[in-house]
Amino acid sequence: MNRNARKWWRMNKQKLQQQQQMPESSTQIAKELAANEAVLRELYTNCTDVVYRSFLIGGSTKALVIYIDGLSNTEELDRSVLSSLMNGKISKETHARKLVEKTISVSKWREITTLEECIESISNGCPVLLIDQQEAALSFGLEKWEKRAIEEPVAEGVVRGPREGFTESLNVNTSLLRRLIKSPALKMELMQIGGYTKTKVILAYIDGIVDPTLVTELKARLNRIDIDGVLESGYIEELIEDHPSSPFPQILSTERPDVACGNLLEGRVVILVDGTPFILIAPTTLIALLQSSEDYYQRSFASTAIRLLRYVFTVMSFLLPSLYVALITFHHEMVPTSLLISMASSREAVPFPALVEALIMEITFEALREAGVRLPKQVGAAVSIVGALVIGQAAVQAGLVSAPMVIVVAITGIASFMIPHYIAGIAIRLLRFPMMFLAGTLGLLGIMLGIIATVVHLCTIRSVGVPYLTPFAPMKGKELKDALVRAPWWMLNTRPRLTGESNMYRQAQGLKPDPSKGGDTS
Amino acid sequence: MKAKYMVLVFCSLLLGGCWDRTEINDLAIVTAAAIDNEEEQKIRLSIQVFIPRELTSGQGGTGNGGGELTTVYSGTGLNISDAMSKVQAKLSRKIFWGHCKVYLFGEEAAKQGMAEHIDFLVRHPGPRNRAYLYVTRGKAKEGLAIKTVLERSTAEALREFASLHIGMAVTLIDYRNMLKSESEAVAVPMIENGSKLQTPAQIQTKSILIGTAVFKKDKMIGHISPKVTRGLMWLRNEVTEAAITIQPPHVKGIVSVMPSRSRVTLDPVIKNGKWSLLVKVDTEGDVVENGTLLNLMNPDLLSIVQKAVRDDIQARITYSLGTLQKGLKVDVANFAGAFHRKYPKEWEQNKDQWEKIYPEVDVRSQINVKIRRPGLISAPAGVPQEDVIKE
Repeated sequence: MNRNARKWWRMNKQKLQQQQQMPESSTQIAKELAANEAVLRELYTNCTDVVYRSFLIGGSTKALVIYIDGLSNTEELDRSVLSSLMNGKISKETHARKLVEKTISVSKWREITTLEECIESISNGCPVLLIDQQEAALSFGLEKWEKRAIEEPVAEGVVRGPREGFTESLNVNTSLLRRLIKSPALKMELMQIGGYTKTKVILAYIDGIVDPTLVTELKARLNRIDIDGVLESGYIEELIEDHPSSPFPQILSTERPDVACGNLLEGRVVILVDGTPFILIAPTTLIALLQSSEDYYQRSFASTAIRLLRYVFTVMSFLLPSLYVALITFHHEMVPTSLLISMASSREAVPFPALVEALIMEITFEALREAGVRLPKQVGAAVSIVGALVIGQAAVQAGLVSAPMVIVVAITGIASFMIPHYIAGIAIRLLRFPMMFLAGTLGLLGIMLGIIATVVHLCTIRSVGVPYLTPFAPMKGKELKDALVRAPWWMLNTRPRLTGESNMYRQAQGLKPDPSKGGDTS
Repeated sequence: MKAKYMVLVFCSLLLGGCWDRTEINDLAIVTAAAIDNEEEQKIRLSIQVFIPRELTSGQGGTGNGGGELTTVYSGTGLNISDAMSKVQAKLSRKIFWGHCKVYLFGEEAAKQGMAEHIDFLVRHPGPRNRAYLYVTRGKAKEGLAIKTVLERSTAEALREFASLHIGMAVTLIDYRNMLKSESEAVAVPMIENGSKLQTPAQIQTKSILIGTAVFKKDKMIGHISPKVTRGLMWLRNEVTEAAITIQPPHVKGIVSVMPSRSRVTLDPVIKNGKWSLLVKVDTEGDVVENGTLLNLMNPDLLSIVQKAVRDDIQARITYSLGTLQKGLKVDVANFAGAFHRKYPKEWEQNKDQWEKIYPEVDVRSQINVKIRRPGLISAPAGVPQEDVIKE
C-alpha cells in the first residue's frame, strides 16, 4: 500500500511542482522593469485581484507598484508611497534604499531581491514597488484586510478568567501572546507550510525555560511537512503527533491566549497557525486535557473539588454504559435487590438485549449531539426538543428502551461534557463503544480487560517525548500538586520537571500569606 | 498487517457473542425460599418469586395496587436441588438465587436435621451466605404467605426484622460459625405460623417473631420464648435498643431505661476442677420514661434506679440460663468457646465431657449499670413541682 503511494509520489512530483508555477528561488529581479512586469503578469494570469500601478518617480524614472486588492491598505499606500514619489520636487534619486530613507514614510518595509520574495510579499498583502534599473525592490508592510474582532472563545468558556480568544489572523494572535508575556525571552519563529496556501506558522516558546531539544524536535517535525495546504491547525497536529493510531489527542489545542501563556511558562511550545483561532500546544499529557484554565484562577479549594469531580465524571463517561450493560446482562447479584426489582420491572417490555438497547441510545445521543453542533442556531432548539422527546419519554413509553437506560445515557452525556477539552471528550466517547461490546460479551471481566488495555496504551504513548500519563506513570510525587489537586499558588513553586527542568523554580519560596510577614500600613 | 490482526481480534470477540448472557427478563428473582419436610423422606421447596410486571414504573414508582408483587411456586423432591428442578419445570424463567435474602425452615424440617439443606445453600453458587435464616412454626411454605402491609414482600419484611435486632438475627454464615464453634449449638429466630398471619387484624395484633429455635448440632431440640431470647442476647452481647422497664424498690411507679451502649464479656474460671463463669455486663443507658416522683438528677435517687436496672438484667440472665443451661442443656451462648480460649489445655482434656460439665458450670454475674442522661427533662414532668421527691 505504502509502496504504491511512494511510487505515485515519485512520478508526480515534478508535475506537481510545475503546476505550482513557482520561479526558482534564485531568480533575481531583473534590471529591466518591463521584464519583471512581464514575468509577474505571466504568473498572475487571470488573477483579476492583482493591481498594477505604473508611475514615474519624480517625473522621470519608471516604477511599478503591485498589490492584491483587498489585502493592502491602499489609502496609506497612496499617501505615503505614491504621492510622495510622484511629487515632482523630489530629486532624481531612485536608489531603493535611499528612497526609503528620504521620501517614503512607511515604517515597516523590506528590501527584496528575488522574484520569489516579491510574490510572497504580494500574496501576504505587502505592496511591492519595482523601480526601473534597480535590482532590488521594496516591500511595504501595509497589509490590511478584514478581520474578525477578538471575541470570547466559544469552545472553552470560563466563569472567571480572561474573555479574549484567538482570532483567525496570525498577527493578532501573536500580539495577544506578547501582551501577556512582555519579556523578550518570548521567541516566535516563523515558518511557512503549504505549497499553495503558504500558511504562516509560528513556533513560540520562552527562551530559558523551554528545553532547546524540544524546539529542535518540533522544528524538524514541522519542516518534514510537505503538503499543498494548511487550512487549520488540525492538519499540522495530525502530521506531527507521535502516535497517529491512538485515539487520544497528543497535542493540546486551545483558543485561549491565557492557556497558551500558562503552557509557555511551563516550558511547552506553542504553534500558531494563520487562519485559525486554534493554536497547538506540545507536549501535552492526559491530565492537561482534563484541566481547565479556570482551575488556576479560582481558589484552590474550589479548583481541587472541581478537578476531583471532573475525574470521577471522566471515568463515568468512559465506563457507565458498559458497567450498566455488564451488571444487567451478567451480574444481577451485584445490584441491590430493590434496584434490581425496579430495573426488572422497567425492562419487562423492552424487546432488545441490554447491549443493543445501550447501543441504540448511545448512538442516538451521539447523532443528536452532532446534529446540534452542525445545525444553524435557529434550528438547534428544534433538535433539542425532538431529542428530549425521542430519547427521553417517547422511547420509554414506546417500550423501545427502559427508563434506567435513559438515565444512564443522560448521565454519561453530561459526564462527557464535563471534560474541558472537547477533543479529549471525543476520544473517551469513542472508546465507550468498544467497552460496551466488551461488557456485553464478557461482562465485568471484559470491562477489566478493556480498562487494562486502555491503561497499557496510555502508558505507552508519548507526546513529543513526554510520557502521556505524567505525573502518574512515571510517578512524580512532587507534580501531583497540580494533577490530582490544585495546590494554592504559593505552593506551586516548581515547573513540571519534564518540560521545565532547565529553569525549575517559577517563584520565590515561602510566599504563603501570613500576618507576620507584614505588609500592613502601620 | 496490524490492522488485519485488529479486525481478526475484534471479529473473534463478536463470535463469542452473548450466548451466556441472561437478561433480567429471563430470570425469576427469588426473594425468599421455604423448606419443609414431606412424607416419604421428601422435602418441599417453595420459592417466593417477584413478578416484575406488577411493579409498573413511571407512575409513582410503587405497585398499582392491583395484584400481588410476588407469587409462590413449590415442588417436592428428594433434596433441595431435586425439588428445585421440579419447581423450575413450573416456571417459564430461570430461578435466580442471587437476591434470596431469607430462608425459612419448617419446624419439622428443622427437627429432623438441616445439614443437607444447609449444604446446598452453601455449596450452590447462587444462594448468598448473608441471607437470614428463620424457623417457622408449622409449615414454612405458609410463612411465605404472610401478608405484609408496609413491605413489598414477606422476604423484605423478615429482612427488615433482622436488621432491627429485636430478636436474634442469624445469617447462613452465622449459622455455620455457630455450628463450627466449640458448643455446636445454634440459635435461629423463630416466626409464627404463616396461616395465623393472614388478615390485616392478625398482622396488626400478633407479632411475627415468637422467640428462638435452639439447635444441637443440626437438629432443633427446642424453642425458647422471646423473654428467654432477650436474656440469651445479653449473654451473646447482641443487645441493642430495647427498653428495660423496672419498678424501683420501695417507690411507687415505674421507670424505663433504654440501654445505649452495652458490653458483655464472659470470664471463665477453672479452680480445683470446678468450672465457673463470670458474666461481666457494662451498660449505659438513658431514662426514657419516669412514672415515679423521683427527680433523677439527684445521684442518690439515680442509684436506686441503677440498682433496680442491674437486678433486672441479672434476673433476665438468670432466667434464660435456667432454661438454656438447666432445662435444654444447650450452650448457645458459647461458654465452651470462652473456656477454650482461656484454658486451651483443660479444654482439650475435657471437651468430650462438655455436655456433662455445661449444666454444672457455676455462672455468676457482675453487672455495672450507668444511667448517663435523664432524657430531655430532669424532674418528672406530669406532676406538680412540689410533689417531686428531690432528696
